[in-house]
Amino acid sequence: MSERLHRAFSPARISAIATNTLTELTRQRVFYVLLIFALVLIGSSVFMARFSFQQEFQILKDVSLGAMSIFSSLLAIVATARLISQDVEDRTIYTILAKPVPRFEYVLGKLAGVILLLAISIAAMGVLFAVVFYFREQTVLNETAREMNRGPQEQLNDALNAIRVAGLNGDVFAGIAVIFLKACLLAALTLLVSTFATTNIFTIAVMVFVYLIGHLEATARDYWLQQPGAGWIARGFLALVALIFPDLQAFNLVDDIVAGVAIPVAIFTKTAVLGIFYIVIYTVAAIFVFSGKEL
Amino acid sequence: MTDSSPRRSEPARRSGDPDLAVAVEGLTKVFPVPFRKKSIVAVRALNLQVEAGEVYGLLGPNGSGKSTTLKIILGLISPSRGRTQIFGRDSSEVATRQSVGFLPESPYFYKFLTGAETLRFFGKLCGLRGTNLTERVHGLLDLVGLTGARNQRLSTYSKGMLQRIGLAQALINEPALIVLDEPTAGVDPAGSRDIRNLILDLKKRGVTVLLSSHLLEQVQEICDRVGILAKGELVREGPLDELIAIEDRTEIVLEKASPKLLKEIEKLAARSKAKVIERRTSTTTLERLFLEATQESKSSAHHAE
Repeated sequence: MSERLHRAFSPARISAIATNTLTELTRQRVFYVLLIFALVLIGSSVFMARFSFQQEFQILKDVSLGAMSIFSSLLAIVATARLISQDVEDRTIYTILAKPVPRFEYVLGKLAGVILLLAISIAAMGVLFAVVFYFREQTVLNETAREMNRGPQEQLNDALNAIRVAGLNGDVFAGIAVIFLKACLLAALTLLVSTFATTNIFTIAVMVFVYLIGHLEATARDYWLQQPGAGWIARGFLALVALIFPDLQAFNLVDDIVAGVAIPVAIFTKTAVLGIFYIVIYTVAAIFVFSGKEL
Repeated sequence: MTDSSPRRSEPARRSGDPDLAVAVEGLTKVFPVPFRKKSIVAVRALNLQVEAGEVYGLLGPNGSGKSTTLKIILGLISPSRGRTQIFGRDSSEVATRQSVGFLPESPYFYKFLTGAETLRFFGKLCGLRGTNLTERVHGLLDLVGLTGARNQRLSTYSKGMLQRIGLAQALINEPALIVLDEPTAGVDPAGSRDIRNLILDLKKRGVTVLLSSHLLEQVQEICDRVGILAKGELVREGPLDELIAIEDRTEIVLEKASPKLLKEIEKLAARSKAKVIERRTSTTTLERLFLEATQESKSSAHHAE
């Protein structure tokens, strides 16, 4: 008979659940979302070849990063919503939790699986975007060099530099990292909602609501706080709203990137810390709710 | 059923004994009904002991509290009152599941996995790795007769195959106690016979088996002891032979007995004040007939090939 020692925390068990979750989502063909992204990207880059290079680069960044943000958010919510409820419905959860698996490891494993899926999807979209962008940039550079071949060298260098400045830079990748964090945050919150929701539809409906409020609350907050007589009650209420509904607008760096405004390291770090803070809070709450759940 | 004063059965005598595979003491489970003052009592003041190495059958009609009791023993739900232990340790401790295997009623596994992948996944959850895991998966697929379907996805498995892969996953960690919730429900007689043979084989290897069922004939063949639950209470418990024996009756089965001999036996019985209650031709069970018939058609098909 088995005499193996039980470990209170086992990364190997979490990894087994995470890999299984990733396999589940992959075999359900969720990666088809990436195909839609590729079509949007390639379609828009063909269409935009008519604009000036600055406009073209701006629109390409805007469309691509916007699509990446929407697709990854959608993927995070839809893929996570059914993970626990499906296991409960199919009674697969009994066989898993009847093994020496603590409930927190089950929740962490599920979340890690979705985060892996999001990382792979966003990395694939990022690489696709970078490749398309790189080729467009190279084409514009070559065309400009050919057109200004006979002009003064200094003028040519200025023109090529202007193209490079408008092209791919580190800020784009910082923007993609923030999109990833936002998707992870939505996945963690969806997992929390699904621990007490009774149906997938309920979870998805709540998350759509949270998504909309999350994008609008910053505007509403600014407006409210500018009103005369906005006291500490209003501030307290807004802080509570911000805790329950994450300020998703804070994760939107796309506008600055498109406008060519450099993203300061401090802003990036602040956004990253905010994202991680939300993810940790939601995950701890999900573990707490799930641990007390009668199966 | 509403909560009322519980009728208590005999208290557990050997709580905390590591030689007892399962000890249930004063177990009560009440499920509150949302938005109502009423609550449902699924299990009431239950005391139960399963000795190490025995096959114990928990019997009862649907809704009698069998599955709830098993889930509490496995730590999947918490008791309202009382406690449950596995080999002397409180079953709410996750570590106790290191020595337990569980097959839930009509299990669904991940349909997107193959048979071998399913066993590898559950093996990893039990801390198995590398060659050890590969050999164990191979051995179990062989044991439950699914080696040929090892790379088939579970979505293509029949009900009987699912039940067998379920048994294999329950055995992946070489448990000392295996808990089976309705293990033969919905399985055809041949599949059901295979499962019973497997249970008897486990018993020979010293594994304790705790199973729930409402298919009484099947339980009768394999259980050492049974407990009968009704409305959450244990109404009968004991060794199977004792429970079903009719003390003042004896059966004699004769082969090739002539009508004359039978008449003489009846006369003899009457002389000694005994009474012949029933005389009939021995019959086989419908199950045995089914198994023989299906076996015959299989072997004739085989010869025809």
